Amino acid sequence: MRHAYPIAIRLVQSLALLVCVVVLNFLLIQLAPGDTVSVIVGEMGGASPETIAALKAEYGLDQSIPAQLGIYLGKVLTGDLGYSHYFNRPVLGLILERLPATILLVVTSLILAFVVGTALGIFSARRPKGILSHFVTVFSLAGFSAPVFWTGLMMLIVFASLIPLFPVSGMADVARPGQGLGYVLDVLHHLVLPAVTLGMIYVASYSRLSRTSMLDVLSADYIRTARAKGLPERRVVYKHALRNALLPVVTMVGMEFGQLFAGAVLVETVFNWPGLGRLAYESILRRDYPTLLAILLFSAMLVMVANILTDLAYRLIDPRIRGRGR
Amino acid sequence: MTSRSASLAAASGPETAPASAPQGPSPAAGTTPKPDRPLLDTCRMFARNCPAMTGLVLLATIVLATLFGPGLYGVDPFSMVDMPFAPPGPDCLLGTDYLGRDILAGVIVGGRATLAVGASAAAITVLIGVVIGTFAGYFGGWVDAVLMKVTEFFQILPTLLFAMVLVTIFSSSLVTIAIAIGAVSWTATARLTRAEFIRIRDLEYVKAARTAGARDFYLMFRVILPAALPPIIVAAALAVGISILFEAGLSFLGLGDPNTMSWGMIIGQNRDYLLNAWWTVTFPGIAIFLTVLSISLIGDGVNDALNPRLRRR
Amino acid sequence: MNVIHRLTLTTALAAAIASASTVGHAAPKEGGTLVIGSTSTPRHFNGAIQSGIATAVPSTQIFASPLRYDDQWNPHPYLAKSWEVSKDGLTVTLHLVENAKFHDETPVTSEDVKFSIETIKKNHPFKTMLQPVTSVETPDAHTVVIHFDHPHPAFLLAMSPALMPILPEHVYGQGDIKTNPANLKPVGSGPFEFDTYKQGEYIKLKKFDDFFIKGKPHLDNIVIQIIGDENNLMLSTERGDIDMVPFLSAVRDIERLKKDDNLVVTDAGYDAIGPINWLAFNTRKQPLDKVEVRQAIAYAVDRDFIVKKLLGGFAPEATGPIVPESPFYSGDVDKFAVDIDKANQMLDDAGLKKGSDGSRFSLTVDYIPGDPEQQRNIAEYLRSQLRRVGITVNVRSAPDFPTWAQRISSYDFDMTMDNVYNWGDPIIGVDRTYISSNIRPNVIWSNTQQYSNPKVDELLEKAATETDPEKRAELYKEFQKIVVGDVPIYFLNETPMYTVYKKGLKNAPTSIWGAASPLDDVYWDDGSN
Repeated sequence: MRHAYPIAIRLVQSLALLVCVVVLNFLLIQLAPGDTVSVIVGEMGGASPETIAALKAEYGLDQSIPAQLGIYLGKVLTGDLGYSHYFNRPVLGLILERLPATILLVVTSLILAFVVGTALGIFSARRPKGILSHFVTVFSLAGFSAPVFWTGLMMLIVFASLIPLFPVSGMADVARPGQGLGYVLDVLHHLVLPAVTLGMIYVASYSRLSRTSMLDVLSADYIRTARAKGLPERRVVYKHALRNALLPVVTMVGMEFGQLFAGAVLVETVFNWPGLGRLAYESILRRDYPTLLAILLFSAMLVMVANILTDLAYRLIDPRIRGRGR
Repeated sequence: MTSRSASLAAASGPETAPASAPQGPSPAAGTTPKPDRPLLDTCRMFARNCPAMTGLVLLATIVLATLFGPGLYGVDPFSMVDMPFAPPGPDCLLGTDYLGRDILAGVIVGGRATLAVGASAAAITVLIGVVIGTFAGYFGGWVDAVLMKVTEFFQILPTLLFAMVLVTIFSSSLVTIAIAIGAVSWTATARLTRAEFIRIRDLEYVKAARTAGARDFYLMFRVILPAALPPIIVAAALAVGISILFEAGLSFLGLGDPNTMSWGMIIGQNRDYLLNAWWTVTFPGIAIFLTVLSISLIGDGVNDALNPRLRRR
Repeated sequence: MNVIHRLTLTTALAAAIASASTVGHAAPKEGGTLVIGSTSTPRHFNGAIQSGIATAVPSTQIFASPLRYDDQWNPHPYLAKSWEVSKDGLTVTLHLVENAKFHDETPVTSEDVKFSIETIKKNHPFKTMLQPVTSVETPDAHTVVIHFDHPHPAFLLAMSPALMPILPEHVYGQGDIKTNPANLKPVGSGPFEFDTYKQGEYIKLKKFDDFFIKGKPHLDNIVIQIIGDENNLMLSTERGDIDMVPFLSAVRDIERLKKDDNLVVTDAGYDAIGPINWLAFNTRKQPLDKVEVRQAIAYAVDRDFIVKKLLGGFAPEATGPIVPESPFYSGDVDKFAVDIDKANQMLDDAGLKKGSDGSRFSLTVDYIPGDPEQQRNIAEYLRSQLRRVGITVNVRSAPDFPTWAQRISSYDFDMTMDNVYNWGDPIIGVDRTYISSNIRPNVIWSNTQQYSNPKVDELLEKAATETDPEKRAELYKEFQKIVVGDVPIYFLNETPMYTVYKKGLKNAPTSIWGAASPLDDVYWDDGSN
């Protein structure tokens, strides 16, 4: 119960921000040349001015801009994210269909990067000037420095073409779909390359951050006290220091969720992963504004959920906050 | 692939306050002492850092190559000098692209545009970030609250997607690309600057200056900002690397500037030929990789050098 | 001219030819799945209201049409077991097969055909295709009589699977067809019925057991997998994850896959698609309003280099507005063999002297995004090549198709690369680009060059109603000569279209529509798939 109040405040603030997201995106799109009707007309191979006018009326594009914004806001509030003229279906369904793939990819990459990153960071913090520490530095920075699509393409060539260990495309074998456990294994098999590619760039973040914070913690007074009490070094490091050292990393994980999602656009394109990132790219190319707006809104929402979860995680891990109110 | 500056920069300042938990006390909040001879110590630390020095040498080489390379290697990157897709060989050291244009010439000349986009996008990032962070951190109160809400707002937008929208709307030229990158990636710098200001603004020497009657602007930009600069400089350097990756990503998605030779453009235009002509994509990719890596190594080295804990041990 | 005759052949002969493609093969094996790779995501699967390959490939499996075509432009019976064209060319009568059923087990009737023709006329992007149709009568459940206001020689081709899917009226007849949910869950009478669609991932079709042609289809399933990235599609094909890639036009990929022993790479089929890649000029903008300037540019561009080097020799050259595969093609046109000196001379004569920087004037060139090989690469080539005659070219990229279409259709351009399809008959795909009555602002793929020549208008109007194929061909011959000489467009190449498939696959599509035709004859030889 003691977490309820701050969380409620955050929720309200988050909602306000989401409305801002909607307004901003809407305004941006007003600045854009070309609209949905021009796409449809283009695909039709042309149309008469009357047809164009009729189409504009049909899609509400003949209204004033504030009116269009008002209509859109009203619809969003009632859960209607609009109709994708390009894909010929309601946007909400389109997004919900693509969402699980993206969440699976992003969360897996995140966990991968978190585990590997903090392990490397803490490992190198134990001996900050050793050869291995330098190696960890260079290795993790290398993962961060290569363009992610480039890494992805290289991964494809090496692990899917030269040494065909992994599939190249999609989320599951579409021709011979597995059932039950077989399907799960198939999806995991397809997940390996994209998740590693996406996760790799964040290993650097997390290892650098956990290293610094571990160094900070290890020189803090209470650790010195623990050492002075004669506790074994292992116990000092892993029991007392680790928990505190993880705090900034956890925060970072939450903060970077949005960036991770953005990186997914490139990774999903390379690996043909059927997620929101690819949908976003497709809808930009086709000026499918209802879809694009909804994806931006959804991703903003995901980031907020991630932030709130991080907040909770932070409260659970941090002994000082946890201790409050007892 | 984007705001890694957030994390790396966060590592430099002990109180890069977490976005989601602004009240969460960081273990070492506000305890960093001012080193006695900061610059000298830092340089010494840095010079002893082998990876960082490697990065410095590497970056210097790359910058020199893009500055003087076009003069020394007089091939026009837009001229068709050989057969399309000639593999690397004695005539064209790195092969040719789909039109028969020299990849090496492209990589050398393209470096200028790439580094220029990286630097200007980073400059925009830092400018917006520092201004917002300065005001928020110095004044606190409602100014801080409002500016931080704005920052939070920009932070929840997926950067690359947002930049894609901006470039799509305002057409893809190097200028719009640089602006778009800057416009989406300043939030981390703003938070970092704010955190530094909050840490420094109550230090004794600032209080003394204030008591002596210094005005707000003087305090902000002449007294506090210089002290807050080191981690901001690190963040700025990293922003250059991130912007280069950003430009490459946009080009890969077909949103690059077609009239200016850049590394991202070479990759974007040749991406479909990766399987058939690996050299077209691989060499500019390596150029990007080495540049960003050298910047990261330097940033990391400066980071470590600025970190008092490492120094003490 | 033989071919032209066959185009208008009526009932008896055509019915007798029957499905020629299965002849010569012993009993085909039944069963198996065919995985087709595609780079584009379809909007939906209803080819009656949507053109384009992404829709046509699934649509032609799901929906049957009155006629179908082999690889020699011969019409064959499909839903229509026979048909007659009246002597005056103003009436076509179709006699439908009696046992055809839709996938929901309701019978296919003449009312459904009438409904489909009217729907297509109203909604299909190819406006000229059914424009002359005035009324459709249904004297009985299996007879359809179509009336025209003038003879319409292109009509038989318009009854192809890719252009005239027969929709069940009871499914598509209610409400606005554009938003009918059945566009995404289609019900037709073709060899395969719709199974599932995972948006942006794959479309799965399954064998329709009550298909009206007994013993067909042979395959159990067709899966069309959507892979947006070209490299990824290639890797998938090489690994054998994909069994067939139709409509492949990326020449480097064709070149690469040709070396693969497990694959067959062929350009058979596709004759009716007729895609031409060209450089279009804005003929009302200075200095391109001068025909000599356009001709000089034509002389400066090395078509041979583009075809042989940039496109690896896989793309046939295009010399005029009609593709060589068409029965109406004429090669009697100016070829503009590359001649830089002549081009320079012509520009000098036109009073456009070189400035001190070596540049006479500058032009922009646009291109359609999304097909780099045919479009962007050649635009980039023009930048390098036209420098040699003192023209500075700036490449203007468009982030997306609408942006490009907006610029071109509002005449905000100097030159643009473009890729336009013949679609079988000139009336459907050629007239629109050159006839002056089709200079329509904001309509892409209309006469966006703003080219106007009364002689051309006259020739095209005559040819559209001429029922004698020989006379028609004469009219088109003259048309081609004039248009090529006027250079509103400089024709570069035909977009190569290849089909790649695994060796074990038999009867891979070779019709004039390529894989945009029913795959009911296709089967796996080894039976292991």
